[in-house]
Amino acid sequence: MLSRIAESLCWMSRYLERADNTARLMEINLLYLVEAEEHLSEAVMWRPLLSISGSEAAFAQYYNATAITAQNVIQFMTKGPANPNAIHPSLRLARENARVVRDRISKEMWQGMNELWWMVDTRLKSALPPERAAAFYASVRNEVARFHGLTSSTMMRGEAYGFYQLGTFAERADMTARILDVKYHILLPDAAMVGSPLDYYQWAALLKSLSGFEAYRRKYHTGMRPIDVAQHAIFEGDFPRSLQFAVDRIQRALEMIGTAAADSPSRQAVGRLLAHLSHHSAEIVLREGFHEFLQGFLEHMAAFNAALQVDYFAAYLGAEPCAT
Amino acid sequence: MQTDSAVEPVLRMPYHEFYLDDFEPRPHYRPLWEHIRRMGQHALATKAQELHLAMRTEGITFAVYSETEQGIERVWPFDLIPRIIPTAEWAILEAGLKQRVRALNLFLKDIYHEQRILKDGVISAQLIYQGKHFRQEIVDIDPPHDIYPHIGGIDIIRNDDGRYLILEDNLRTPSGVSYMIANRVLQRRILPEFFTKYRVRRVEHYPSLLLQALRHVSPRGRDQAEIVVLTPGIYNSAYFEHTFLAKEMGVELVEGRDLVVKNNVVYMKTTAGLQRVDVIYRRVDDEFLDPLCFHSDSLLGVAGIINAWRAGNVALVNAPGSGIADDKAVFPFVPDMIRYYLGEQPILDNVPTYLMTKHEDRAYVLAHLEQMVVKAVNESGGYGMLMGPASTPALRAEFAKRIEENPRNYIAQQVIPLSRHACYLDGELESRHIDLRPYVIYGADIDVVPGGLTRVALTKGSLVVNSSQGGGSKDTWVLAE
Repeated sequence: MLSRIAESLCWMSRYLERADNTARLMEINLLYLVEAEEHLSEAVMWRPLLSISGSEAAFAQYYNATAITAQNVIQFMTKGPANPNAIHPSLRLARENARVVRDRISKEMWQGMNELWWMVDTRLKSALPPERAAAFYASVRNEVARFHGLTSSTMMRGEAYGFYQLGTFAERADMTARILDVKYHILLPDAAMVGSPLDYYQWAALLKSLSGFEAYRRKYHTGMRPIDVAQHAIFEGDFPRSLQFAVDRIQRALEMIGTAAADSPSRQAVGRLLAHLSHHSAEIVLREGFHEFLQGFLEHMAAFNAALQVDYFAAYLGAEPCAT
Repeated sequence: MQTDSAVEPVLRMPYHEFYLDDFEPRPHYRPLWEHIRRMGQHALATKAQELHLAMRTEGITFAVYSETEQGIERVWPFDLIPRIIPTAEWAILEAGLKQRVRALNLFLKDIYHEQRILKDGVISAQLIYQGKHFRQEIVDIDPPHDIYPHIGGIDIIRNDDGRYLILEDNLRTPSGVSYMIANRVLQRRILPEFFTKYRVRRVEHYPSLLLQALRHVSPRGRDQAEIVVLTPGIYNSAYFEHTFLAKEMGVELVEGRDLVVKNNVVYMKTTAGLQRVDVIYRRVDDEFLDPLCFHSDSLLGVAGIINAWRAGNVALVNAPGSGIADDKAVFPFVPDMIRYYLGEQPILDNVPTYLMTKHEDRAYVLAHLEQMVVKAVNESGGYGMLMGPASTPALRAEFAKRIEENPRNYIAQQVIPLSRHACYLDGELESRHIDLRPYVIYGADIDVVPGGLTRVALTKGSLVVNSSQGGGSKDTWVLAE
């Protein structure tokens, strides 16, 4: 497969995943705010969302730093234009990449992508007030889920599907780690506070941001305990938004792509990600520091992304022709 | 043609494809006409809406570039009423097209080798050497099987007596064939009932004919042919077509940056390393093909690709240099080529065309500009044109000046009132001008897919059918016997 096409497949699914995650975060935050009893300022409520996508600075530059209101954050995280990670520009890029790989994806996927795009683009031509925004975010998630469904049922399993999976799970691992890092830091700023009475709703919101609330409730009957939440969101291999699940899928995707040798940089980088997870447990993470653990994970992810460049996307530089 | 009373008397009533003079349909349209009357026009309105949604969903769109709009995405304007060509008419068109392309190919081979036609004085050497698309660099190169224009799109119109005439040849990177197929798919999906009274010849095998023709010219033989489609990229207005053809043929769609030339062999950069390429169906112009050869500041090209072609290690489709044969100033000589190379009389005539390099032609045209279409010889897509009857005196003066300054760069044709056809527009059946672009594939044989792309000038009275200038299209039916 052409390197450029492989890279575009990755970015197509990566941008979709980014839009999906942003939509989920925004939706949960909006719903949570409806009944907020704490009399927190809008800025306190919404700043974490800017932190998760690493766009506090960009926001401050566009609006002024004191303008963290629900309406501004909605605008910023949804339409842009100052924020390239917003939903609208992410979906535009997902579609542009889909156009690049048009001959590699199924007709159903291309149609699904267009429907998704026209729905969002048309809706965002008019204003998105906070009371309407949650419904919009839900429809974005639905359309993205539909796209994944169409992919799952119409796309040939093989190299192209492998790159599609890589993009999805690399982005998801990244996002889950960032969500945990930011939210956990707010919920438990001090490790000594572990075990103190917890804000049920805030922890529930964290799990809902990962679509993991119901599964957690079914598995853990002892309420919202940080150690269980960490176990669930990081190490639970059967939970589709956990770090463990994402890394397992990345490894499988590499196997499906199958062109790089076992000792190639990308295989080694995935090995280090898996080792980072298997050398820790929820207890160790809580004891040694959540933030440190997640930063370590994100560094390994960055190394993995760099290894993809070496193995697949820029593999031809100086390479000798294949024997065909 | 606007309703400009000063000009009106010069032009005769255009031929109507659909209706006889008394607004009865022509016999081959009668079953369709009766069907439309029975279903009622409001049913057509529903169908039109379905169609618009279907096209948006399928991304059948093209980008329009103008001074005010940068790549605005538009849905391909497809008209619901098909154009029908009777069997006997098509037989003449098909024979005429094959004859024409065969002669054009012999002309290209001759021009880039012995140049007999120049030495024998049939065409002036100066006219050829001044052609923007004449490529000195490729003289004496032998492309595989001596084929230059593997794909031709020949524009045909019908004059006021219903005679088919050739308007222009497109032998560089003619586009639109994907819309020919998309139109058929849409027509069948939206209005399957139209097909029940007719036996319509199929067109969807075009990509497989194209693939055969591409395999035919593979330097390593047809069984070892790695074929690619080379596109300028997603911002090209024909990108939809490039992806369509690559997907239908099951070959890679590449950009210039995906290719690299080593030791005169072309490779593509893949996730598994470099892979050899044998045939490149390139949809980029000559100028942007190879920065080492034609256009040193091009970012689109592949350095060394012409040398690889010269060495016989890769086939380029269409062959570089083919553009000299569709130079509009060479166009008037195509009937002479047919006589010269084939010893035959042309089956299809040209639209009468005036060469601005000929003194008497130029004087005549300058005196009658308001009855002429003036075209820049190397432009396409309806750009750089003067449509005489619809023009202002100021624009005519501007073109007169340009012609005087650079006569080789312009030709003029009499305004032919293009034939008209019934179209479904805003709830009504209205008449609009149309033309026809059939596609000719030159492989082991010469094939013409029955029909082609019927383009429609959607603006009332307009004679400009190009999609970049507000044109649309129709499904084109050639009837089986």
